[in-house]
Amino acid sequence: MHAKDTKRPAVLIVEDEPLLRMDAVDMIQDAGFKTYDAPSADAAIEIIGSHDDIGILFTDIDMPGSMDGLKLAEYVRAGWPSVKILIASGVIGVGDEEMPEGSKFYAKPYATSLIIDDLRTLIAQDETNSRL
Amino acid sequence: MTGLAALADTTTGPGTDILSAVAVVAPRGRDDAVARQLLAKDGIATVSAPTLTTLSDLIAQHVGAVLITEEALNSAGAQELAHVLTSQAAWSDVPFIVLANGTSRDRSERATQKIDTLSNAVLLSRPLHAEELIRAVRSALAARVRQHEARKQLEELQWRERQLFESEAKFQAIANSVDQMIWSTLPDGYHDYYNNRWYEFTGVPQGSTDGESWNGVFHPDDQARAWDLWSHSLTTGEIYEIEYRLRHHSGDYRWVLGRAQPVLDRSGTILRWYGSCTDIHEIKVAQEQRQLMLGEMNHRVKNTLAMVNVMVSQTLRLADNLPDAQSALQSRIAMMAQAHDRLIAASWAEAQMPAVVDAALAPHRTGESRFIIDGPEVEVGSKQALAVTMALHELSTNAAKYGALSNNAGKVLIRWGVADDTFTFTWEETGGPPVDAPTRRGFGSRMIEQALASYFHGNVELSFKPKGLCFTLNAPMSGLL
Repeated sequence: MHAKDTKRPAVLIVEDEPLLRMDAVDMIQDAGFKTYDAPSADAAIEIIGSHDDIGILFTDIDMPGSMDGLKLAEYVRAGWPSVKILIASGVIGVGDEEMPEGSKFYAKPYATSLIIDDLRTLIAQDETNSRL
Repeated sequence: MTGLAALADTTTGPGTDILSAVAVVAPRGRDDAVARQLLAKDGIATVSAPTLTTLSDLIAQHVGAVLITEEALNSAGAQELAHVLTSQAAWSDVPFIVLANGTSRDRSERATQKIDTLSNAVLLSRPLHAEELIRAVRSALAARVRQHEARKQLEELQWRERQLFESEAKFQAIANSVDQMIWSTLPDGYHDYYNNRWYEFTGVPQGSTDGESWNGVFHPDDQARAWDLWSHSLTTGEIYEIEYRLRHHSGDYRWVLGRAQPVLDRSGTILRWYGSCTDIHEIKVAQEQRQLMLGEMNHRVKNTLAMVNVMVSQTLRLADNLPDAQSALQSRIAMMAQAHDRLIAASWAEAQMPAVVDAALAPHRTGESRFIIDGPEVEVGSKQALAVTMALHELSTNAAKYGALSNNAGKVLIRWGVADDTFTFTWEETGGPPVDAPTRRGFGSRMIEQALASYFHGNVELSFKPKGLCFTLNAPMSGLL
């Protein structure tokens, strides 16, 4: 049903809550993306370091372990600047200055359609840019 | 006044005011009668004192003035007289008018000495000159009146001083007995009074926070704000009110409520500021804790809603039709609500194993002993309890539709236990209709295989054996809480 474009970047989903992670994976797979998932920032860093097809990071903020989602986003932006960043959280009041430039924020519980639309827009922009 | 009755004379009627009378000490011949007659003609009251002893009595009663002959000074009772004169009250100095014999040239040394012992005396020579006598007596009596006036003023001042002392003592008693810190300042803000409570609380030495040094015992982050607000009140006369942290003698800072208002005179000028500090630390801490709790509650509600979101999303993805979707969704949400009830009952901390299983299966029981449950008391964390509840709900629903609970004979065997630091949980269906592995993985099986395993940091095996569905969870003990 969804033809996977081999040039289309994979999405790395980082969420410590198992059910929410499962559902986020479903949501993004349904939109036609290949997914990887991790329950913590540490596991996420291992995955992004060993897979070069990841083009989008979708992460929660509140996570156990050495880093929270915001620090993970900073780390990924620094090491893999081309990766697009989407941040979801139940915590309100996250300031713009705390998020990497160009990243998008979604309040939980999030509307699936909103995220899917934004993901598709990101892909379209990329394809336009690569043709130029 | 002792002896007054005995001293009442024919020249002076009863009720003579000793204070404005003249004592006449002229025992020789007609001197006494002549003098008294002269004075009486001018309306001056007199009292005869035939001896110095009588005179001493009258002086003790504060007689107005004394008219005495030189030779009378020599008579008996001189020592007593001298004593009574030196024992007068501080305000009293009874004036003497001495009728002298001749001039100082003629006087004996002894007589001169006697006159010298009187510190307040004038000399009049004899024979008596009426005008001289009257003027001298009037002058003496006038001076005596002023002595009484001075006395009254002194007594008034002493009375006022006592009142002030008592008033001050009362203020101190009140100011130091209330359970408040009290302070006061001059109109320019100079702090010059603190009650005992202030010093007990802060532990600072007396007087060390006078003037403007009060600012130093405030928390550094509150100093500027307090100073600005106080300055504003000083200029405008507005009531001063502020919450700030004050350094307690223990070294900790405690929240207090500071308040002050001015006392004005009739023209509206500020005379003084009176203020108090109330320890509100407990209240403030309780408020902060309440805020934290509300935040925590909000967080939990958001999490629950996120879970419900998953239920909705997952149910609708796989539903064949809307009525099916509705009933599946509603039973899942009901299950979550019950699970939450139990968690609240256990203060959202931990839940016990048999209780979690029993509660999860309760809606699915038919009263026909289809479930066989066996396992020890094991504590699991709130997330794990919720996951087990969801899993059992999915398994029961599935068993009722397609498995061991869908016919009359099937049974479900639920067992769990701990061995070698591993927690094992199994669900085995028997006696149901023949089972085929489903072509499509429903939410239930995905939830169990992925989410449940992840909650327990363990692994799950879900198999569709011919005799019935079988599910096993293996998890390390560390994954239970």
